[in-house]
Amino acid sequence: MRLRAEGVVVRYPGSSAPALDDVSMDVQSGSLYAVLGPNGSGKSSLMRALLGLRRIEGRVLIDERPVGAWDRRELARAVGAVTQSESISFPLTTRELVAMGRYPYLGPLEREGEADRSAIERALDACDLVDLAARDVTTLSGGEFQRARLARALAQEPRALVLDEPTASLDVGHEMTILELLRSSADSGMTVLLITHGLDMASRFADRMLLLSHGKVAAEGTPAEVVREETLRAVYGWPLAVHHDPATGAPRVTPLGSR
Amino acid sequence: MNRWMLGAGLLLATVVSVLLGVRLGSVPLTTPQVLEALKGGGDPVIRDIVVQLRLPRVLLGVLVGGGLAIAGATFQALLRNPLAEPYILGISGGASVGAVLVLAFGWVAAGSWALPLAAFAGALVAIVLVFRVATATGRAMDVRVLLLAGVVVAAFFSACIAFILSISPARTIQSAVLWIMGSLAGATWRGVFLTAVYTTPAVLLLVGLARPLNLLAIGEETAHHLGADVEKVKRTSLVVAALITASGVAVAGVIGFVGLIVPHAVRLLVGSDHRALLPLSFLAGAAFLTLADLAARLALSPTEIPIGVITAFIGVPFFLVLLRRSMTTP
Amino acid sequence: MRPRQIPRVVMGLRHALLLLVSAGVACSSGDRQPADDRDGSERAGGAAAVEIVDANGRTLRLDEPAARILSLVPSATLTLRTLGAGDRLVGRTDYDTEPWASELPSVGGGLEPNLEAVVTLQPDLVVRFAGSQDRRTPQRLDDLGIPHLAVRPDGIGDVLETIRMLGLATGRTAEADSLVSAIRSDLQDLEARVAAFPRKSVAYVLGGTPPWVAGPGTYIDELLTLAGGDNVFADLEALYAPVSPEEVRSRRIDVVLASGAEAFDTSLAPDARVEVVDDRLEIPGPDLADSARRLAELLHGPLPSGPLPADP
Repeated sequence: MRLRAEGVVVRYPGSSAPALDDVSMDVQSGSLYAVLGPNGSGKSSLMRALLGLRRIEGRVLIDERPVGAWDRRELARAVGAVTQSESISFPLTTRELVAMGRYPYLGPLEREGEADRSAIERALDACDLVDLAARDVTTLSGGEFQRARLARALAQEPRALVLDEPTASLDVGHEMTILELLRSSADSGMTVLLITHGLDMASRFADRMLLLSHGKVAAEGTPAEVVREETLRAVYGWPLAVHHDPATGAPRVTPLGSR
Repeated sequence: MNRWMLGAGLLLATVVSVLLGVRLGSVPLTTPQVLEALKGGGDPVIRDIVVQLRLPRVLLGVLVGGGLAIAGATFQALLRNPLAEPYILGISGGASVGAVLVLAFGWVAAGSWALPLAAFAGALVAIVLVFRVATATGRAMDVRVLLLAGVVVAAFFSACIAFILSISPARTIQSAVLWIMGSLAGATWRGVFLTAVYTTPAVLLLVGLARPLNLLAIGEETAHHLGADVEKVKRTSLVVAALITASGVAVAGVIGFVGLIVPHAVRLLVGSDHRALLPLSFLAGAAFLTLADLAARLALSPTEIPIGVITAFIGVPFFLVLLRRSMTTP
Repeated sequence: MRPRQIPRVVMGLRHALLLLVSAGVACSSGDRQPADDRDGSERAGGAAAVEIVDANGRTLRLDEPAARILSLVPSATLTLRTLGAGDRLVGRTDYDTEPWASELPSVGGGLEPNLEAVVTLQPDLVVRFAGSQDRRTPQRLDDLGIPHLAVRPDGIGDVLETIRMLGLATGRTAEADSLVSAIRSDLQDLEARVAAFPRKSVAYVLGGTPPWVAGPGTYIDELLTLAGGDNVFADLEALYAPVSPEEVRSRRIDVVLASGAEAFDTSLAPDARVEVVDDRLEIPGPDLADSARRLAELLHGPLPSGPLPADP
């Protein structure tokens, strides 16, 4: 499913400069697309704009239809979104959390059917959560909780996944697990849009990247095209060196000391 | 615990509570006397006691107890706060101000409807006030602002009550304090009917919103991404739960703990799925309040203890036991 | 001017003079307890120093009768006026609502009065409530050197005792004794007249839901008994308590006396006659015999007048 943004402008009341200024991008199905940029560059605003949460100038097209034309539940069946964080105040099992992904398919008092149950099981399995299914989510580690949230999004059986910094507070093992999972989803035909900080990981796993700076597009293209020393220096305001990593074949970024 | 088992158990408990509440009371009656009265015969005094006093009182306990519990569960989900309870939006404060004004100015002699009407009006004022503050930005309702507004409005009403009472004679203060402490003693068939007419569709509506409430309890953005109409669900469930609470307070005073503790107790037994939590909370609250009222009537008979005292004395230790149990089992 | 401030010599001369002038009239009333009789040597009507043991058991010594009195207790205010000492009142509380008191400045409530207002009035005696509700006021009065007398306004016995104490404090013991005698004989007279009627079962309801009723041992209960009524809630284990509505419904009640703001739900006592009464009836005061008579007339209708049959 194709995700497109054309000339998107997002303004917040009270600030003169727009949070996003004329941002365009095109994400094909079966690809993993990473959005990066320094703090405050507009990454989260882009996610909100893509999902129809903010009024925008310009267009966002999901599967060639403007996002505003989608019915809410229809959109939830097509796009699985994982926000930066959420906190749980009440007891909830992992399975119950993942089962919430079936909401867009069920009526108010409808019970879960065969299709729902198998979608939930597949999602739990894909994220390696079967053993943790009956555990209370507040007892899960950070990495397990993120996997559970991803499983919920997968239970929606979406054609696209939009994730905002899903590996932000995870250790390298958990981070790799999630990224490999996203990569294989993309390889299976899913459209994956990933907002992230990690330049190296993004370079390694993404097919294409978008680099934002102060709400504007600073660079767009394959990792090799985007991850360039001058580009990064200008965007991040820090001297960065870019090498080619022989183990992964992707560009690797090394921050230099300040001078 | 299996939710259907708990549901059956609670339904049974509610029915038993109702039966006990009619059979037992301050005036000792035998079962044949009670049955005779229910059939319409027997001593008119006993008939009055059973049919005009005990039966409506017990039914009101079911409606008010159940209403407070389901409203409490709803507020906890909406505000994503385990400490939320039905009076959190200043509803009890507003109702109390209405009641105290009527008592202080002696308008209550005008008729038995002056007091509940004034209390309901006061509750409405609180609700409107809090809503206006929370939606003042014109955009989506921020539940954190709602919570804060509720706390502030409640404090304001407390100050109003303190002021009115400080310039009132002792008699008014006594009456006001007793009203505020809550009692089901004023139950009439008309009151039961009105409360039922409002509470029944309200409860059904809330149970129908159980699924989106599940999502809202996690987070509004998450709920939206999963396809819930967040604003509509928020406003509808808030208004309905607030009105259930207001009608309960108007007819029975401020009965505490039911709305806070019953949902937590049910949650400890069957989890947070509101499709089970809401109806089971209603049943549990109904049984709880009916039994508490029975205790209020019997413990120091012929004196009646204010029911808010009983709900606190029973509710708190019971909840502590459940809490310990949940912390020790893996 | 406070008694202790007057030089002793002058006091002694005044006392001697008044003793000579006075006629030593009054007789002691029969109910005076021996323990309180320390003042027995000083006669009523004279201006000798008196010692009064108040309702808290505290002994108050007054070298001369109080001339500037502030009463914080409404029934004591009434008593003082009835004793003819009303012109000595220098202030009142917000609860003294009689027309004749309206010109006096108010010091606020009877409990926790405005102390600045109290001091401004320069009383030489403050009559206050016995009991522990207001600890601050007696302490401050002590600090300020203002004599105070604690009275208990709870029952008939308390009222009579208060009359006696205030009589001593104002030097109007003759009036006090005759007032007490008058009350006693009025009550005896009432009892005799009421004997002609069958006793009525009465519930005194102060309002509320569930209804608050007066139990045994209250002033109202005492008055009711004198007025030919039997309190149906004589089994209550409290002075005042809320009772289950079904208790009201199940007891045989002839008359419901309803005071208080909330109207009494008549369906709770469909066979009873419901009379609305002023809640001032519940406040004990020197007019208690009159209150009892009014209660009796409420319960039984007009009382037979004329001379009573002679005692057998």
